[in-house]
Parts: sequence; C-alpha cells; structure tokens
Amino acid sequence: MNSHLFVWLARRRRSLVAALLLALAPGAPAATVEGRVTLPKTRTAPVVNQRYEIVAKAGVLSTNPPVAVVYLEGGFPRPATPPAAEIRQKDLTFIPSLLPVQAGTRVEFPNLDDTYHNIFSFSPPKRFDLGRYRADERPVPAVLFDQPGLVTLRCDIHEHMRALVLVLATPHFVVTDATGAFRLTGLPEGRHVLKAWIDSRTTREHVVELRGGEVQRVDFP
Amino acid sequence: MNAAAEAERSRVAGFRTKLLAAIMLLVTILTLLALFFAQRSLAAGFEEELQRQFQGELAAIDRAQQLRRGALVERCRALVRRPRIRAAFEDDALDLLYPNAADELRDLVARPAEAVPADATRGLRARFYRFLDRKGAVIVPPAGERTVGALAPADEARLALPALGERPQIGYLAHAGAGGGPTVSEIIAMPVFSFETGEPLAALVLGFEPPEFSGQTRDGIKRGIFLAGRLHGPDLPAEAALRLAPEVDDAAEEPVRVTLGGVPHLLFAKHLNPDSGYPPAFEVGVYPLAGLAARQRRVRWQVLGAGAFVLLLGLAGSHLVSLRLARPVEQLAQDSAVDRARRAQAEAALEMTSAELQRSARFSADASHQLKTPVTVLRAGLEEMLAQPGLTPADCAALSELIHQTYRLSSLIEDLLLLSRMDAGRLKLQLGPVDLGALIAGSLDDLGALPDELGLKVEADLPPVLRVTGERRYTAMILQNLLENARKYNRPGGRIRLAARADGAWLRLAVGNNGRTIPVAAQGHIFERFHRAAIGENVPGYGLGLNLARELARLHQGELLLVRSDADWTEFEVSFPLAAPE
Repeated sequence: MNSHLFVWLARRRRSLVAALLLALAPGAPAATVEGRVTLPKTRTAPVVNQRYEIVAKAGVLSTNPPVAVVYLEGGFPRPATPPAAEIRQKDLTFIPSLLPVQAGTRVEFPNLDDTYHNIFSFSPPKRFDLGRYRADERPVPAVLFDQPGLVTLRCDIHEHMRALVLVLATPHFVVTDATGAFRLTGLPEGRHVLKAWIDSRTTREHVVELRGGEVQRVDFP
Repeated sequence: MNAAAEAERSRVAGFRTKLLAAIMLLVTILTLLALFFAQRSLAAGFEEELQRQFQGELAAIDRAQQLRRGALVERCRALVRRPRIRAAFEDDALDLLYPNAADELRDLVARPAEAVPADATRGLRARFYRFLDRKGAVIVPPAGERTVGALAPADEARLALPALGERPQIGYLAHAGAGGGPTVSEIIAMPVFSFETGEPLAALVLGFEPPEFSGQTRDGIKRGIFLAGRLHGPDLPAEAALRLAPEVDDAAEEPVRVTLGGVPHLLFAKHLNPDSGYPPAFEVGVYPLAGLAARQRRVRWQVLGAGAFVLLLGLAGSHLVSLRLARPVEQLAQDSAVDRARRAQAEAALEMTSAELQRSARFSADASHQLKTPVTVLRAGLEEMLAQPGLTPADCAALSELIHQTYRLSSLIEDLLLLSRMDAGRLKLQLGPVDLGALIAGSLDDLGALPDELGLKVEADLPPVLRVTGERRYTAMILQNLLENARKYNRPGGRIRLAARADGAWLRLAVGNNGRTIPVAAQGHIFERFHRAAIGENVPGYGLGLNLARELARLHQGELLLVRSDADWTEFEVSFPLAAPE
C-alpha cells in the first residue's frame, strides 16, 4: 500500500510539484477538513491515559485502542530543514506508538527508562539499527525517515515493544482521537484525495474539492 | 542256633546298607534338583539383572539426554524469539536474516577458528545452523557467511522438513565433519513463531555434537547411533553395523540376541526422536554376552561346589541317620529272635500240658468207667446177701451200711466221670430255658422226705416265676449240691434259707444255712477239688461237690461264690443267666 503510494508519487512528481507551488503560494486562504473516521471496535473500553500500543492480529498492525491517521495525499515539497519528531521509550513502550511523519523528518528516540533500549527496523522503507543505548546517550539517537512507507520499530531487548512510523509524502496529516474525530487545517485549495490510515492493511480514501476558508466535513465510514 | 544268629546279623546288616543307599539316593536326587533349580533361577536372574542394568542405564542416559535436550531446546526457543530474527521473517528481510543471526547466535555457535573447549559446554555448542522457510525448505546462507558452520550442500538439503510443526523436532544427521571424517550431529529444528499471528513462520535448525554415545562403559556395552540403515559408532566394526541393521527395529521393543563375530551379544535400541519429521534414529547398545557367560560359569561352579559340599554333608548325614534308624530295627530283630525262641518253648510246653491233660482226663474217664462195673457187682452181691434169710439184725445193719457205701462210691465215680469230661472239655451243655422254681420245689420236697433228725427249718423267698438258661440236669445238680451242703453242715434246729432275685440279665440265688462257719484261711480253698479237711471227718462227702457245682455254674456262664461264712451263717450265691421271657 505504502509502496503504491510512493510509486504513484514518483510518477506524478512533475505535475504535482507545479500544483504544490500553486497551493503553497503565500496568502492563499487555507481550507479545513473535519469529520470522523469509523474505527474498528475494540473489546477494551477506552480509558483516560491508556497507553497506545501496537497490536498484531492476523498479520495486521494497528494501534490499541484504535486510532487512525488522516492525511491529504499529494506530492508536497520537502521542507528545507527537516522537521523533527520524537518517539520516547518509557516504561518499556514506545510513546507514541503510531507516529505519522512527513518524509524527510528526523525522529529522535530518547530513552526515558533506566534500562538499555535498542531500536531497529527491517522495514523496507527504512532499515536501521541504533544499537543499545541508555538514557544518558547524547546526542539523542535519531533517524531520518526519507522514504514514504510504514516502518515497524522494534526493540532488540524487549521483544514486545513495537511502534509504527507512517512516513507520508505530505505535511498535511493528523491523528484522530480515540473516537475517530479529526480536524485537518491549513490545507491547500483544489481537488485532493483525503486518506484515512486505519491499520497496516486498511486505508480509506475520499476525494475532496477544497476551497479556501471553507470547512468541509468528511466522514470515513 | 549260632548259624541262625549269624544269618540274622547279616540280614540286619543288609537292611542297614539298603537303608543307607535309599537315603543317599534321596539326598542326591534332592541336591541335584535343588542345584538344577538354583541354576535355572540363577540364569534367569542374570538375564533379569542384565535387563535391569540396561533399563537403568537407558533411563540414566534418557534423563541426561532429556536434561541436555531441554537445555538446548530452551536456548533455541529463546533464540527464535529474538526480535531481529523474527523481524527478518515478519518484515520480509531475509537478506538480513543470516547476518543478524550471526550476531544473535554468537555465543551458541562454535567459531570455525576457535578451538572448541573440551569441557561440559562442548556438547552445548552448535556445530552449524540453518533456517528453514515457511515450507520447511532450507534457506541457503549467503556464500560469505562463515558462522553458519560448514555443511556440504547435500547434507544441508537433508535439514529440510516436510512441515514445520508447532514443536521442536529432533533429528540426527550423518555428514562430513570438520576434520573430513564422517560424524553425526544431533539437530534441533525450532519453529520461529510470528509475533503477529502465532503461526510458525520459519524454523531455526541447529546441529550439535551428540552426547557421548561412543566409548565402552565399564560393563562393556558398546554404543552407537543407528541412522538410515547405518550404524555410527567408533567401537563397532562396519560389518557389525550392517549385520545389526535388520535387528534394530525389533530391538526397539525388547533387547534381542545377535551373534557378532561368533560371539553372542545382546542388542538393544531406543528410538531417539519419536514424533519428528526427521528420519528415525536409534541409540544402539551392544552387550557382549561373553563376560556374562563367564560370570555365569563362575557362579555355576560356585553353586556346583556348594552343591557337592551339601551332597557330601548329606551323605554323611544319611549314614548317621541310617545307623540311627537301623538300630531299633536290629533291636527288633534280636527281640524277635528271643521271642520266637520263647514262643517255641511255650508252645512245646503247652502241647505237653495239653497232652498230659488229655491223658489224665482220659485216664480218669477210663478209671471211672472201669470202677463203675465192680461197684455195681459189689452192690448186687451185698443186696443178694441182705436178702438171705437167717441174718442177724447186726449183720443186716452192717450189710445195709456196705450197700450205702457202694451208692456213695458210684455217686463219687459219677462225679469224677463228669469232672473228667469237663476237664477234657468234652461237656457241652444243651442250653435252654429251665424252670428253676419247679426245680427248687422238687429239691425242697426231696429234702423234706429225708429223715430229719436235725429238725431243720427251710425258708424260701422266691419270686413266682424263676426261669433261667441252662441244662436242666446240671442246673438241678448245682441246686442239689448247694442244698445238700446246707443240710449236711447245719446244726440241729438250724435254718436253711433260699432267696432269689433278678439282677439285670442274671438271676442270683442265695442258699444260706446255720452251722459251723468255714475258717477264713480255708475260704479260699473250698472250691478246690477234694478239699474238705477243715469241715470235720464226721460229715459225709468227699470234697467234690462245690468244685463240681462251680464248674457247672461256669458252664452255665454263671458263677458260684461264697457270700459269707460267719456268725453261725454260711451263704453261697449262684448266678444263672435269666431266660428270655416267653
């Protein structure tokens, strides 16, 4: 799925670049999309401060309790300076367990536990291995995610620890709340495809016609 | 007599010898039987002990194997949970599999360059490892990867499994070893489970040096691994391996006997990897029975020696026993010889006595007969003289007395005749019912008819019916004897008393009279023949009456006794069997 996206992006690069330049022209009024993604039911009732973790069921990775990532598809230029993001390792979990980032984002992985942690990925979009390190490791180990796709993060030491980094070609994305509600602001005008990533196999999409200053409601059934 | 004693002694000696022989035979048979059974149970015991030994060793080996395998399996299980290894399969990064596994298995796999330490951990070091894919086929490591351990491609291909399964699978692989020679590795195929689905994604196959199968144990058991029709073990020659191949399957159930190089062996086998997708492998032990046979022979000799000793003891014991047993028999033989002599003497004496008795009885019978005739002639002559006219009254009285004496004489002769018949045992009573009451009445009448100068008084105390068993003639004779005595020995004016009573099956008739009593010293002799000395010569009689009466009473099955003789009263009692009532 992600590789499809990447291929698609690669093919449409030239025409997209023009559109993006137009869309990001200063002064252009931004559009907003809000709505709700129908999330898969979980057995456990969501509670406050519940830790989000990655669960695997029948080979499908998702978060528990479920949340979705809503993003606007399109070829957007990379920022000049890589945006930064962070996944903390605390209490033997990755926080957050699902991190959407724009391709080219540098993600730091601070270790907040008293034990060694290791982060590695064998996922095709980004293979890396940070080795084992403690909380006092400086600089904080970081990885630049430069190719769109889904990256599974694992800890070499703690086999249950998982995190997903959803590397997107777009800067326009948001994580829904536990009810599935989202609000995506600062979107460029024009005809776009709005997508909702629900789990590693399920991505829903919706074509939207955005106009500046308008708030459009999109629900993913 | 001396010759007879000699014969007796030799017979006794013969008996002793036979007894000894019999006891010896018995002892020998018993000893041999005991030996036989001891021998058999010993042989069975040896077999059992051997089996037990096998089972014990097998169990010990099994326990050690289980422990070792458990440890290995645990290590493998920990390895296949390693996130890097799982990630390589889950994230489809097979190119990273062997490089990462090299890191993860660093501690487990012996490095090619590294000298393997010859300690306990040696068996826990893997010789090689490979991964199998989801279908069980071998994922061939990249050419440069040296840590996986060298395996020829053909050997490598044999690590494949038909199915991964949920559990670790054990197998044995015969392959070319590091030194080039053939070797056997114990392999464990541990499934790698998906973290996501829990299904086996792949398997890690590790090859270990098998535990010490080779080498002789102290009992001479040679061990090896039987794999795919071949036996691997340095102690066993190749042809032995070929020879054993068909037997292993049977031996997996029970140890079997095989002949190896002309020597009997016991072969046992144990399936090492049940429930495995790999070809079956057996641990094989061969036990040479030669040592066992030698031990058995030794013990047999010991048993035989003990048996011979016991036999010797038994024979000595039987000699003693036979002597002991023979002694009473000898005694018996001697005694019986003495007895026989005594009996012969007694028989001779008895015969003589009997002959004499016969002779004397015949003599008295003859004498009585011979005497009767002259007495009769004498009486007839005297009666004729008495009938002569012209006799003076004195002559008449003298003649009458003489005639009376002839009656006494003939009566005496009658009695003697009767006694002699009884002595010779020729008097047989014709027993029948006898009316004793009538007899008594008749006797009393006779008594009354006699001239009674004494003025005797007769009393009778009799039941109305008096019937006894006897012969009338002799019953009457007893009664007359008693009554005559009672009258004869009475005093003037005295009494005669008759009293009869039934006592069970007997009738007891008491006859008592007044008069002089019988002295105590004479009371024991009054029933003897011709005994009347104490009575006084003026009383007629010749001392046969009581004797005759008693003999007759005894012929009647009865008895005649003196009841009392004191204080002017003498009483006899005669008993007769009562006649059956009509």
